[in-house]
Amino acid sequence: MKFQIEEVTVYFPYDNIYPEQYTYMVELKRALDAKGHCLLEMPTGTGKTIALLSLITSYALAKTESPIKLIYCTRTVHEMEKTLAELKFLHNYQVKHLGAAAKMLAIGLSSRKNLCVNPTVSSAENRDSVDAACRKLTASWVRSMAAENPNQPTCEFYENYDRAAGGAVLPAGVYTLEDLRAFGKEKGWCPYFLARHMVQFANVVVYSYQYLLDPKVAGIISKEMQKESVVVFDEAHNIDNVCIEALSVSVRRQTLEGAIRNISRIENEIDRFKDIDAGRLRAEYNRLVEGLALRGDLSASDAWLANPALPDDILRQAVPGNIRRAEHFLHVLRRLVQYLKVKLDTDKVEKESPVSFVASINSDAGIDQKALKFCYDRLHSLLMTLEITDTDEFLHIQTICDFATLVGTYARGFSIIIEPFDERMPLIPDPVLQLCCHDASLAIKPVFDRFQSVVITSGTLSPIDLYPRLLNFHPVVSRSFKMSLTRDCICPMVLTRGSDQLPVSTKFDMRSDPGVVRNYGKLLVEMVSIVPDGIVCFFVSYSYMDGIINSWNESGILKDIMQHKLVFIETQDVVETTLALDNYRRACDCGRGAVFFSVARGKVAEGIDFDRHYGRLVIMFGVPFQYTESKILRARLEYLRDTFQIKEGDFLTFDALIDVMNIKLTDRNLNQRQAAQCVGRVIRSKADYGMMIFADKRYSRHDKRSKLPGWILSHLRDANLNLSTDMALHIAREFLRKMAQPYEKTGSTTGRKTLLSQEDVEKLGNNGAQEMLY
Amino acid sequence: MSSGQVTKRVKYKTSVKDAGTPGRLSLVKERLLFRPNNPNSASKLDMQFKYITNHRYTKEGSNKAPMLNLTSNQACRALAPPVEAPNLGASSQVPSEQPSRDDLLFRARLLQDSSELQKLHQQFVGGGVLTEAEFWATRKKLLEKDSNTKSKQRGGLKSSVLGESKPLIDGRTNRVTFNLTPEIVREIFSEKPAVHRAYLNFVPSKVTEKDFWTKYFRAEYLQRSKNIAAAIAEAAEDEELAIFLKPDDILANETRRKIRRVDPTLDMEADQGDDYSHLPDHGILRDGSKEVPEPGNELYRRTLLQDLNRHAAVVLQGTPIDEEQLKDTQTVAEALERSKQERSTASKDDDSMADQERLKGISQAMTIDDLRGSNDHHLAPLWIKDPRDYFDSQQASSFRTSMEATKGSMSSQEAYGLLRESISQIKSMGLNHPIVAPEVAQKVLSVLTHNISSTKYNLGKKPGESLLDSLPTSVRDELLHHHISIEELMKHFWSSYPITTKYLNTKVIKLKDEMSKMDSQLQKLKETVQPDIRHQITLLIRPMQQALEAAMQHYDAEQQKRASKAREKPNGYS
Repeated sequence: MKFQIEEVTVYFPYDNIYPEQYTYMVELKRALDAKGHCLLEMPTGTGKTIALLSLITSYALAKTESPIKLIYCTRTVHEMEKTLAELKFLHNYQVKHLGAAAKMLAIGLSSRKNLCVNPTVSSAENRDSVDAACRKLTASWVRSMAAENPNQPTCEFYENYDRAAGGAVLPAGVYTLEDLRAFGKEKGWCPYFLARHMVQFANVVVYSYQYLLDPKVAGIISKEMQKESVVVFDEAHNIDNVCIEALSVSVRRQTLEGAIRNISRIENEIDRFKDIDAGRLRAEYNRLVEGLALRGDLSASDAWLANPALPDDILRQAVPGNIRRAEHFLHVLRRLVQYLKVKLDTDKVEKESPVSFVASINSDAGIDQKALKFCYDRLHSLLMTLEITDTDEFLHIQTICDFATLVGTYARGFSIIIEPFDERMPLIPDPVLQLCCHDASLAIKPVFDRFQSVVITSGTLSPIDLYPRLLNFHPVVSRSFKMSLTRDCICPMVLTRGSDQLPVSTKFDMRSDPGVVRNYGKLLVEMVSIVPDGIVCFFVSYSYMDGIINSWNESGILKDIMQHKLVFIETQDVVETTLALDNYRRACDCGRGAVFFSVARGKVAEGIDFDRHYGRLVIMFGVPFQYTESKILRARLEYLRDTFQIKEGDFLTFDALIDVMNIKLTDRNLNQRQAAQCVGRVIRSKADYGMMIFADKRYSRHDKRSKLPGWILSHLRDANLNLSTDMALHIAREFLRKMAQPYEKTGSTTGRKTLLSQEDVEKLGNNGAQEMLY
Repeated sequence: MSSGQVTKRVKYKTSVKDAGTPGRLSLVKERLLFRPNNPNSASKLDMQFKYITNHRYTKEGSNKAPMLNLTSNQACRALAPPVEAPNLGASSQVPSEQPSRDDLLFRARLLQDSSELQKLHQQFVGGGVLTEAEFWATRKKLLEKDSNTKSKQRGGLKSSVLGESKPLIDGRTNRVTFNLTPEIVREIFSEKPAVHRAYLNFVPSKVTEKDFWTKYFRAEYLQRSKNIAAAIAEAAEDEELAIFLKPDDILANETRRKIRRVDPTLDMEADQGDDYSHLPDHGILRDGSKEVPEPGNELYRRTLLQDLNRHAAVVLQGTPIDEEQLKDTQTVAEALERSKQERSTASKDDDSMADQERLKGISQAMTIDDLRGSNDHHLAPLWIKDPRDYFDSQQASSFRTSMEATKGSMSSQEAYGLLRESISQIKSMGLNHPIVAPEVAQKVLSVLTHNISSTKYNLGKKPGESLLDSLPTSVRDELLHHHISIEELMKHFWSSYPITTKYLNTKVIKLKDEMSKMDSQLQKLKETVQPDIRHQITLLIRPMQQALEAAMQHYDAEQQKRASKAREKPNGYS
């Protein structure tokens, strides 16, 4: 459909639109008009992404005199693929209705690991080895060597791309990673470098948060983005955590040991170079004297991860004299590693501020703050000079230098915490020295400063006024939308007893009780026989899941489950879990039906949607144990209190712990933002429906339950608060039967429209949206 | 009628005297098309119905060649006489297409494939009740060739893990026994390609089959007892045993291949590959939110979870082996190997095709259903291989309950009767103590609760069991055959109404005769069966008889109406 929002004609690729989407677009447009930042909350399941994409692309089409670029940031690659798929759908629609004028270039950008088409390189195990393998074939010195020696292997894709030079361009269109790879293969050009090059020209760039927030990556990828860009952070409820993680480093024993090995290897290399090419080291020294840490014109293929500190904080000065010579620098590194080793050898928890830490390094190891600050650049320069390509081997020393640079650069907003062991496993010594950032506004500040509009949006941003304080910015629009449902499509239940009326719980003293294990099993056995397609189960931890599945297997319960549905399980191996998920979806698609066992705080819970038939029922077995005593969290709370006057209580209810409990529910502090997010993910549209069962007697208590997000609570009827397996089964049957009935999609029977047609929208445009909707 | 057209072989004449051009006349929604057999021939016809001003056709039953004469307002006269097809008037409602040679062959094959169909065909077409064309007219679905080729369905694998069946442990002799059937072997081979390879390589040249499996299960046993140290020790001594304990390299390769083609919208491996904040030791390690991974992922560690995932993946993929091939280990191994090779040669194009399809599916999944104006879902046709098996298992429980009820000391009707009686008593006498006679209440309650509890007890517990299964096979077969025959007769009978032509009239008379024959057969069957199952038989036969009766009644009523009409007519005219 096509409609006007003020002077902008919006092309929306569906025949109908939700009223929420319409108002969302109106607000977004105002923010764009004002060239300011905005904060928008709208529940998942209302088509936020497509509303956002169609408004911004239509806005760009309408304002041809000052073209804007869209930088769309997602948390993960799979979300990026989803966004691109929606964009493709939208683009096809726009091209169909507008013709060539609507053509645009949209690309997704990812790492070499996900884009490389060179068979020898891409077969490498992990990201770092792919990066290193690529560098081995494409580094400038390797290529110049290859020019003389034909036996030196190079990457033909990179060579072709380089040869095509300016001619290597992507034609207009929407490119997912797979499309980029296919295009690269067809043309013989390297898709990774092509995509990086095209980022400057693309109308829409989709990549992950880190490419903008993490200075290590942003420094090489996002340097040249124009100011007239709209930056969107989707699913941004966790954005503060991404920001602080980008500036945090932890050092463990293994890191230090690896760093020592790295130093020795560098030493050997230096000795070797002294024999064959002493001039090179001298040249580097001279360059450093002149004040250039790096040659200015690094070719793209040489670029390594950039400085971990933010661009504004990096000193444009000459490298201090005491680390200019390679040998001296190595000595400094050795002393630093030694110092950290001693620090790590402690049996009590220590907390320090960066200032005092730097002071004690200075007095104990004789390394001053300025030298620390330049560690990263100095190392980078040295590795370049030594022509080291297997960068994946040098990650440890790089970590140490990142740590040094950060600790030398930032005096506030950070703290250093040394823990001799994980508090949950006090018997296993595993000392860690963590440099943790507390101030999320540090990493995101350059983004707010640089770009004209930054849109922060998610299904759950409440309390919405906290974000501007956490991230330290001033939004021109800050709004939260409610979702109007056409029918009661969510059915939460609290199950407190098994079919034998005994209570079920994962409380420590009950969790291994065979009765509880059996009752949980019976619940699932009954449910698999009546719920169609997909069921997702969440357990409180990996070890609990492992135990319960083994005992179900022994008692034959698993066999009963398998009579009805296939079983797939999340494991700690990401590859295996991905394949299991893929198969799970296939099984749901083909009608066989499947159960997916997952962990409440695992990777799957964090980011995979179980919408539509992929999750007709979600069962949460137990209440996930929440670890609230983390030293880092405490330190962060303290900092927030002192600096932003954010009360602990405020932050804890808002973020009852960083990045935890994602899925449908979670936690002792069923924290609002995550839990809502997770439940939101069972619902894809207003036509979708799903049930959720909280199987633990503790959920029936008011204090636990009240931590559930409001919109689950609003669907949780009093009658469903204290159920046994039989009763839950009955309710589930009824619910499924009800949902299978045809219903009036526009919701006109309930009085308020939940779906608008072209006509309705036009009427709205005339009358003003507000009065009709609210 | 999927194509929405009727085709007929005809000769096309521009005038009555013309020799005519042989070809096909097809009738589509809005027009009449004639295509000559000889494509070079000039006489083609494409006439929209709206241009036809007049049409005449030869009378039914006349001995002239049937002919359809069309007049159009474009002043062109077109004559389209059907080829000398016996008996088939242009206006007849019977399907008029002449079967081609292919069709005939195809029908013969269908008959061969299904003995049920063959029996029916013999009974009705052979018995002269129905003509060949009539018989097939009701089975157009079967004749659609593409649907038939597609529907070649193979039973999937069972979901449950067969190989996990517990070993029998004999406590006295300290001996562990594993049972092995070809099905289990198939499962093991397809889930563990390395074992399959080892089998092909070693048996029988190096070790005997028995030794091979002994070793395999020894390894499994070690694995299951979680005695990793022992497993390592044994593997060091015995290299063949080590094969079973080592991680499967074929699987690992396959995994690597598959992960490349996984649905990108859930590819968490790609997420990991893009996550630069979590360089080793970057980010926050210990904030209490992440679970500490368990240490140790040793070489010989294979978990139940992995096995379950693998099993489910194999089940989902399906098996290339038919049931007939499940004879012994050797055949299973070879058949699997063969199919694997076939697949690897065919997989290349297959993969890219499947990929494309998946990508399409993803973009489709991204769209929001209820925002689209109309949903043009492509629905896959439901194809149930054995409908009786499928529906019986669902109905089993309800049949059961009816049986249980009859076996109870008192039927629910009786109980209900008692209840009513006492209610009417109350009505007449007013309330006194006790409200309901205790013995009555007792009876009602016990019967009703018995009913409920037996329903609950039997509900879906034994899916294979139904009333039919409790009968002797010969009786059962006979019943089923009768049922199908009656179904067929009914189909033809009811589709003949309203009777508009003489042809239909004769057909109905024939059908009616057959029906009364059938009715008497049913009666005979009822009388001849053993008295102990007579009641069940009656229950089963009743609906069939009712169907027959309804048809007969309709026939009689119709007959009377006709007769009276026929009587009226001369009256009206005279």
